[in-house]
Amino acid sequence: MSGKGENPVTPAVRVTDLTVAYGDKTVLWDIDLEIPGGSMVAVVGPNGAGKTTLIKSIQGLVPRVAGVVSIHGRPYEKQRKEVSYVPQRGSVDWDFPTSVVDTVKMGTYGDLGWIRRPGRREHEKALGALEKVDMLEFAQRQISQLSGGQQQRVFLARALVQSASVYLLDEPFQGVDATTEKAIVTILKELVAGGKTVLAVHHDLNTVSEYYERIAILNVGLVAAGRVEDIFNSENLMKAYGGKTSFFPERKTARRAV
Amino acid sequence: MLEFAVELFSDYTARTILLGAASLGVVSGVVGSYAVLRKQSLVGDVMSHAALPGIVLAFMIVGVKEQLPIFIGAALSAVLAVFVINLVTENSRIKTDSAMGMALSVFFGLGLVLLTYVQRMPDANQAGLDKFLFGQAEALVEKDVLIIGLTGFFALSVVGLFWKEFKLLCFDPDFGGTMGFSIKALDMLVTAVIVSAIVIGLQTVGVVLMSSMLIAPAVAARQWTGNMGSMVILAALVAAVSGVTGVALSAGFENIPTGPAVIVCVSVIAFFSILFSPNGFFTLKFKDAQSRREIRKDYVLKALHDLALEHDDPGYAHSERLLALGSERGFNVRKSLFALQAAGYVESVGEDNWRLTQSGIREVKGLSPLEKNR
Repeated sequence: MSGKGENPVTPAVRVTDLTVAYGDKTVLWDIDLEIPGGSMVAVVGPNGAGKTTLIKSIQGLVPRVAGVVSIHGRPYEKQRKEVSYVPQRGSVDWDFPTSVVDTVKMGTYGDLGWIRRPGRREHEKALGALEKVDMLEFAQRQISQLSGGQQQRVFLARALVQSASVYLLDEPFQGVDATTEKAIVTILKELVAGGKTVLAVHHDLNTVSEYYERIAILNVGLVAAGRVEDIFNSENLMKAYGGKTSFFPERKTARRAV
Repeated sequence: MLEFAVELFSDYTARTILLGAASLGVVSGVVGSYAVLRKQSLVGDVMSHAALPGIVLAFMIVGVKEQLPIFIGAALSAVLAVFVINLVTENSRIKTDSAMGMALSVFFGLGLVLLTYVQRMPDANQAGLDKFLFGQAEALVEKDVLIIGLTGFFALSVVGLFWKEFKLLCFDPDFGGTMGFSIKALDMLVTAVIVSAIVIGLQTVGVVLMSSMLIAPAVAARQWTGNMGSMVILAALVAAVSGVTGVALSAGFENIPTGPAVIVCVSVIAFFSILFSPNGFFTLKFKDAQSRREIRKDYVLKALHDLALEHDDPGYAHSERLLALGSERGFNVRKSLFALQAAGYVESVGEDNWRLTQSGIREVKGLSPLEKNR
């Protein structure tokens, strides 16, 4: 992730000089980040570190004060179809009058473009994605009847039908049951094994080493980014979290060594 | 009453008016669904009230009560109100609800001042301008209905064309944005459609109550269905029926303005839906009470069984008092016992003593593990 100049391979996601501000408050400061294709990356950092903003500003959902984002070497705006997005589960109203399969179908709208309606092909695609997340039997269910974990699976399925190569997920494990967490991790790892790139905002420092190969530690500025074994240490975490974390990766490794 | 109805439908003028009311209903039902689904019901309220100064100003400029200028004036001032709200919320610390409240009162207040001023002018032309407050469907003529129809057709075509985009806009605009849909453009399109519904409702329902015509049908429809398509169609139906009924009511009784009559109809339907629909207030209360009764019955059955097992005889009888004492149940054990007796699960033996029947014993064994552990 740290840009070694001689690396000829174009990164899946390249963020250069990204700065974002809400009013007079700087939320992201001068972020430079390169994410190689086929990797699974965690974005961690304390509350208000700008993790969600990073995901959103990569996709142009919040205006950038400065900075450029490119996907596979081309500007994001030309590569929308290569990126799929799983927003925070709580960002939508789950009481909305629609069914599970229709919600998943929304992932096909981008390919359809303006005005054209989803048809049989899109329906099949949506069902296929629901099968992958083990929610096929809920296809006709109202989304208001889903549990938190099921909601998250539906959101993941909606991203899967986009058949993109880069997945941006905002706290995919927040408030979901253990089974769903495992299922989602398995699917994400499959995606990565198939050459896709996954970038997920992650909260639980305990599972970082288990789930991800790479990590970006954020607190307004980028504290460190790279392979988990190289940079996921207490020094970097202290820099990002201050004294507010009691998690020290070394201690865990030490205990494991005993 | 029947005579009156026959007269109403056979009369050409009346038919024109009813057609206008029905078309208005269809359009506002459909369009209002979007205001409700986007949680922007209050924006509709602000826009309809804010149309008033536009109406009066248009009249002052043109000098006659011509429909088209008035429509344009109304639309412009409604849109201006939304613009002001956005401007205020984006550039100050004032929150949306306060901004909307201010916009509504400022625009509507200005409208009333202008209206009062115009009405004092020594000119007969302005007569009836105040009908825009509460609506007067009797004044509808063929030309008005034609304009209602055309504007409505425009609004419905936009909704039909951008059905999928509007759904995205309502449910998850950010996600829509990442797929390349311009959320700003869609937002403006929805606003345009809502404004056109308001404008065509001005004559019939009036600026004060037009927002209910948008919101109430959608709220009523939402109670009965969990499918957006059905919701929109049902809302259109509710609003059309209310429109026609309201117009008939106001024509049948002297001096009832059309707006209030229509709104009373639509509100009755909305309240009925909120109370009695499958997810309505009373239905849920009823289901609650029912399941509470069931659970208590299982509870008593289980208690009787447990006590009897202490005597190695599932059919051993116990007194109601003992059942009630056995734990702090906090409910009327006797009532449950009578219900169980009616179901044939327990029988009463002598004074206040109860025991399980054979089918009662089977029933206990059939309780799910969860219920057995209760």
